[in-house]
Amino acid sequence: MSSIYYYLAGFLFTLGLLGTIFKKDLISILLCLEMMMGGVSLLIILFSRSTGVLESQLLVFFTIIISACEVAIGLSLIIALYRKKQTIYTDDIKIITE
Amino acid sequence: MISDIFLTIITMAFALMVVFSKKTVVAAFALLMTLLSIAMIYFQLGTVFLSAIQVLVNAGAVAILFVFVMMLINLEQFQNNREKGKAKLIISSVTVLVILGVFALIINNNIEVLTSNNIADNSMKALFEKLFNVYYLPFEMATVLLLAALVACVVITGQDKAVAKEEGAKHE
Repeated sequence: MSSIYYYLAGFLFTLGLLGTIFKKDLISILLCLEMMMGGVSLLIILFSRSTGVLESQLLVFFTIIISACEVAIGLSLIIALYRKKQTIYTDDIKIITE
Repeated sequence: MISDIFLTIITMAFALMVVFSKKTVVAAFALLMTLLSIAMIYFQLGTVFLSAIQVLVNAGAVAILFVFVMMLINLEQFQNNREKGKAKLIISSVTVLVILGVFALIINNNIEVLTSNNIADNSMKALFEKLFNVYYLPFEMATVLLLAALVACVVITGQDKAVAKEEGAKHE
């Protein structure tokens, strides 16, 4: 009956994708990215269970480390941006085009 | 089996809350609960070590870091206003449904292979023997990556000396 978890992983990934497309402030986008990460990790664990390969658990271990780094750097970029522009909305940021 | 469905429903409810809640703080706490329920799923699947890591790192550190950053920047002026454009909503909903449909098709075609439990030795001892004998170099690289992220955070968020001097001159 663990097949229901496959659907859950797909649901988490697609919902995170939807949120990443639609959200307007950067913190919510990072939250949705973290949710996508969670779905992918769950999927890898499920594959590890069905194939019997122990390495995939280590893959998830390293994925968690990398996602922690990603969130830390993303949040510090948000803080730096807020200091410079006083906004966290994606519509107000036109650094490249300026 | 009932616990499977229960955990799935809880995780889905909190995941929906992350995307659809009006306040970002509520979304952050919903993400915390989503990650905790994913940790419970890991526990139920038998991967105890990853469950502990998920609780410690993702739920304990990352989600709290989000709340901390929200505290640093003034969140009152940022309400979670979503894009109201109908065409965009329809197009993305169709895309998401297509992705989920293809996903469900693949799962349904291989359901017997995917739901079998083939892990022979799921003990932590086997896992750590692999980690510290075969994969010790990636493990060390991960520590270097964490150190680099730490330095990067300090460099990015650290104020420029020139800017700080200007602000100091203004205050005087």
